[in-house]
Amino acid sequence: MSQKVNPSVSEKMLTFEMNGKTMNLSVDPARRLIDILRYDLDLTGTKVSCEIGRCGACMVLIDGKTYNSCLTMAYQCEGKKVVTIEGISAGEVDPILQAFLEEGGFQCGYCTPGMVISLKALLKEHPHPTVEQLKEGLAGNLCRCTGYGGIYRVLERLSRIEPV
Amino acid sequence: MMLLSRESSKWKVRPDGKEKVTGRLRYLTDMKGANMLYGRVLRSSYPHARIHSIDISVALRHPGVKAVLTHRDIPGLNGFGISQPDQPVFCDELVRFEGDAVAAVAAETKEAAEEALQLIQVEYEELDVLSSPEAALDEGAPLIHPAGNILHETDYSRGDVEGAFQNCTYIVEETYETPRQMHTYLETEGGLFVPEADGKLIVYAPTQHGYKDRMQLARILAIPEETIRVISSPIGGSFGGKDELNVQPYGALLALHCQRPVKMHFSRWESVKAGLKRHPMKVTMKTGIDSDGKLLAHQARILSDTGAYSTLGGPVLNFATEHAMGPYLIPHVDVKGKAVYTNNGVSGEFRGFGGNQVIFALEGQMDRLAEQLQIEPWELRRRNLRQLNDLGPMGQRIVPTDGPKQVWEALQRSPIWQKRIESTKNSSLWLRRGIGLAMAMHGSGLGYGIPDHAGGTIRLSKEGKIEVAFGHEEFGQGLLSTLEILMQDHFQCERDDLNIIIGDTELVPSSGSSTASRTTNMVWQSLNRLKAPFLEALFERASFLTGIPKEQLQTGRSGIWMDKKGYRQQVLTYKQIADSGVEDLEFTTAFHYPITPDPIIGAHYLYTSTAVIVEVEVNLLTGMVTIIGIDHVVAAGPVINPMGYVGQIEGGSVMALGFTLTEDAVMDGGRYVTKNLDTYMIPTILDVPVQHVEAIEELPDGDSFGPRGVGEVGSVALAPAIVSAVRQATGKWVKSLPIKPEELLQDSLFLEEIEGEKTYESKSQSVSK
Repeated sequence: MSQKVNPSVSEKMLTFEMNGKTMNLSVDPARRLIDILRYDLDLTGTKVSCEIGRCGACMVLIDGKTYNSCLTMAYQCEGKKVVTIEGISAGEVDPILQAFLEEGGFQCGYCTPGMVISLKALLKEHPHPTVEQLKEGLAGNLCRCTGYGGIYRVLERLSRIEPV
Repeated sequence: MMLLSRESSKWKVRPDGKEKVTGRLRYLTDMKGANMLYGRVLRSSYPHARIHSIDISVALRHPGVKAVLTHRDIPGLNGFGISQPDQPVFCDELVRFEGDAVAAVAAETKEAAEEALQLIQVEYEELDVLSSPEAALDEGAPLIHPAGNILHETDYSRGDVEGAFQNCTYIVEETYETPRQMHTYLETEGGLFVPEADGKLIVYAPTQHGYKDRMQLARILAIPEETIRVISSPIGGSFGGKDELNVQPYGALLALHCQRPVKMHFSRWESVKAGLKRHPMKVTMKTGIDSDGKLLAHQARILSDTGAYSTLGGPVLNFATEHAMGPYLIPHVDVKGKAVYTNNGVSGEFRGFGGNQVIFALEGQMDRLAEQLQIEPWELRRRNLRQLNDLGPMGQRIVPTDGPKQVWEALQRSPIWQKRIESTKNSSLWLRRGIGLAMAMHGSGLGYGIPDHAGGTIRLSKEGKIEVAFGHEEFGQGLLSTLEILMQDHFQCERDDLNIIIGDTELVPSSGSSTASRTTNMVWQSLNRLKAPFLEALFERASFLTGIPKEQLQTGRSGIWMDKKGYRQQVLTYKQIADSGVEDLEFTTAFHYPITPDPIIGAHYLYTSTAVIVEVEVNLLTGMVTIIGIDHVVAAGPVINPMGYVGQIEGGSVMALGFTLTEDAVMDGGRYVTKNLDTYMIPTILDVPVQHVEAIEELPDGDSFGPRGVGEVGSVALAPAIVSAVRQATGKWVKSLPIKPEELLQDSLFLEEIEGEKTYESKSQSVSK
């Protein structure tokens, strides 16, 4: 599973868990996680947009908490559990994904993986969230298409159902 | 229509939904090619400068660098632009704005490409920067283009405005200013460019009109259009911003030069610097009414900052000119517009297309006039509203529409309207509530005089699917859903029986652009034209294969059905028909978007109407405006795709919320100050209320034009409604967007007032504890 990219003297072995699988990569410790995901591992579900931690399109879970992968460097992942949208969508039908699908919580879809990641972390922290808590959880995720209308419908629904 | 109703069979999961929510969808900027290179563009360091020399020798020798291209390396035309190609692919002698391209690099790694950019040596001589239209119009101002600094002028008049002002009881004159709004698609510009062994080039890059990109690229590359295949969908948002070429010339030139795939993906800063914006406009309006509140005279002057190059700056100004009169009957009108080149960033096509700016001004005029006359602003509008058979804004014949009257009436059913009647409550001394309304009638299609072709293909595919092909793109608006819903409606079949092909010049016919709120209407018309001949041929074949008279046949789930003694029975599958040969089961239609018979350039024929009501709360201590609620009414004919429809209005509206409250790509001396999303503020979910959208579907008797566009109309009327609400809350008229909090701050007198009201304050605090 590991892949070598631009081997150079500055590279170090990095060991972390990626969507449930242990991964050993030889990378520059200062390489951004977003580049490791999108370029080295071809996991392009994590999107790139502002690259300064404002839009949330590149969000991933690290040990269950949300991180902007554009601001996270390789060495910070050492020994951690990283989960991307691919990790969430691989298993059973996720109620968050289902809500986005049925409520029209996306249009172009580019911000959606980041939104899903944020809600995943929030639901873990608050298994029975209010809409206000869910809203707060999306404060770091920008959407330009929906005007958040469909996303509000997603949040309404998530505030009512029993999370898995 | 109950848009959100889940009982409606039309509210359905989008065909592209699963791939999007799971992150599995490959956007064009996610793609990789075998053995690919990374492309970068060197942008000018100056907003206005003469280039004395460009030295690429050091950059070329840098490890990993495969190509460094400049104006010397363009085989064909060194220019692009949808309406006139006046933007150089690479500047040779003159740079006209900060985002101008000077060179491009392809390298083995992103890092090497970045380093090579630093090694290109360009010798510039700085020139005076024309950072406003006023400066560019000054006598003696340097010429940005050989023909001068005016891109386009408009002039529309009727009656005798000056004379009519003499007869007005009230006249309001005001100048309104609007910001340089950025599209802020979350996916920045990019793509993959793949040269094929047979000499062909495949371009995977977002655009809103694949065939037009192909034409422009062929012109630059000096190769036949047929040797270029443009794959232009899916797209991570566009809103008009990816309509013009952006990354394509560079990726294409580099890929052909290196004969290797080249990937490009702009950083946000490059996207800000090089990308289009909404035209900042200064709109001066002088409007007069008689003592009954009837509009008599209306004068408008529009000054538009089109930036360094034209793209669609001319058509945007035409649109603004047409929409400066709104849905109102005004006997005496005089509108003049100027789109002026400056050394600012390029302004271009953006959802609303010049309507947003003038509608903000016009609706502001209506509110101010109502205040003068001391009547309800909504009543003032009623007294001047167009009726079913009235001519269009420029006196052109239009398809009869009662939209303005319909939305005017329907908005009064909004709960926010009720609140307005009951008078709004302020929650504290410094939190002031207000409610405002506005309306608009917005044209769709490109307008008279501009080629606006449409069409599509339907066939039974070899695989036994009912297949359609359209040269349109999916950038989030829900075109795929709309097509699926329409086709299921026509053929009573399942999702699995269909195949929809879009956004690939190799596979689709030319269908015109996916812009100007035209696509839903165009695919609806296309399918209406294609259905009969397709079914005729399909049933003919089925009848030939089965011996059943074709009059008894129907399409349905997975094949052809018939009624037999009260039972519905399948007689053939689509696959069985396909296996008997598909050659004569394909039909193509081509037609033109409906246009007015009156030769007024840019004038529209089909319109959508909207009215919007908004409640705001203004904090007088901070000047911040919070939007409490927004209700929309839209009259656009039948709703085809409710999820898409409501999404367009909600999304367009929040874009307008940003335009009104926070968004401005600030330029100083021709340089962008707002470089990324830390200072360019688009609304977050915390800035936005839950909105309500009501659709009015009824069209006048005999109307045959079907669903009107809704892609833009949600974005055009909210700004004046917010400004009107702010007026009610604070007593202040805002005339420049985005609203500056400092304009709404109360002065020290007010603070003393609060001081005097300490009892009130401590009481409310003790309650909250």
